[in-house]
Amino acid sequence: MASITRASVSMPSLSTSVNQSQRRISVMNSVSFPVSGRSMIPSLRLQRGLQVCCAAKQETVDKVVAIVKKQLALPADAAVTGESKFAALGADSLDTVEIVMGLEEEFDITVEEESAQSITTVQEAADMIEKLVEK
Amino acid sequence: MLSFLRRSMLTREPETHLWYVVPDEVKSAPLLSKYMELLPQSERDHVLGFRGDQLQKSALLARTLVRTTIARYQVDGHLDPRSLRFKRNIHGKPEVEWETKDGFCPPPLQFNISHTSSLVACGVTMNSLIGIDVEEKRRRTKNNILAFAKRYFTAHEVEHLNAIPDSELQQQEFIKLWTLKEAYVKALGKGFSSSPFNTFTIRVNTAAQESFCLNQASSGIAVETLDSPQNLTNNWQFALLELMGSHYVAICLERQETGGAGKAFPIKLTARKTIPSVEDELVSGTNAVVTIGGSVTQF
Repeated sequence: MASITRASVSMPSLSTSVNQSQRRISVMNSVSFPVSGRSMIPSLRLQRGLQVCCAAKQETVDKVVAIVKKQLALPADAAVTGESKFAALGADSLDTVEIVMGLEEEFDITVEEESAQSITTVQEAADMIEKLVEK
Repeated sequence: MLSFLRRSMLTREPETHLWYVVPDEVKSAPLLSKYMELLPQSERDHVLGFRGDQLQKSALLARTLVRTTIARYQVDGHLDPRSLRFKRNIHGKPEVEWETKDGFCPPPLQFNISHTSSLVACGVTMNSLIGIDVEEKRRRTKNNILAFAKRYFTAHEVEHLNAIPDSELQQQEFIKLWTLKEAYVKALGKGFSSSPFNTFTIRVNTAAQESFCLNQASSGIAVETLDSPQNLTNNWQFALLELMGSHYVAICLERQETGGAGKAFPIKLTARKTIPSVEDELVSGTNAVVTIGGSVTQF
């Protein structure tokens, strides 16, 4: 249930963040979303691509958090969540690039510099990773 | 400061003023509260959004330094730093939003700010676009330098770093290159995505044959973009300074005019350490500010 909830929360932002994959946007448009939660579930199960691209898996977020904590030398128990902004945690531009490099190694992806600059939170990094991993 | 404006309009030599604050030297809680009061609510919220006292303090000092510094350069007498409004240009570069009163001609003041936890700096010029970046000399990357450079810098820069046999010097040279590249992108003001680091090369001409590194004033620094002919990127000139023996400060300025045969005038630099509204100390020309690259005269 938690993943459904997260999916429904991140839907509004999906159309702005998913600007590279036209296929996913058209999938989203073709599915009608009824208001009641119960009838949403079968629709999402049918659209497997949709379920994954709605929000990053917790596992991905956790890995991003670990990399961020390591780069910024934060204590293991520091409160870092999806909403945490890199800059607010003390990351300057060199830290941010190093974080992206760490993510590239961890997930075996390549992040274009243009995309790297638009990542400002843990969640944004995790969402971007998931999109790139799928390719 | 009025003379700065007059001089800049009369001469062709680029003049830059560097103002900086050392956060560790600002300890008074009442003073920090006073600084907070200079900021509009939105900037106070932004400062408080940083995690922890040290980050909040340097964010506060950055906003304070920008406001109090720009206020010093007003032609029509004293300007309250609180009254300054800032906006971002279409690419996100911060600028002053001047009031358009009748007969008020906003000064062609350009500024740029950079900060680390241990230093906050603001560079000011008249007319020339400016970008500055500061970094601790001893900053270490978590990744291997050459691996990082191969991923993000250009081939020429990787070669330059690779040629440095001593790993400590190589680390420092990396930081120097980083600050120079940052300063250039910030001077351009178009955002990092329009100038990824691997699309332009910082070329260093070291005077001494045996020296690979930027370590003296005679070292020339130039930028070359991969997709433009060389002559277009002669629009920019650089200075690299070692501040207080602990930090590198890179300054990139738009060239207004050249001297004879396309040669640039040296940058006239004045540097002042400040505790805003408390004291200023002129430090250019002392060993607190050492030019290690670019053509600079300090006064």
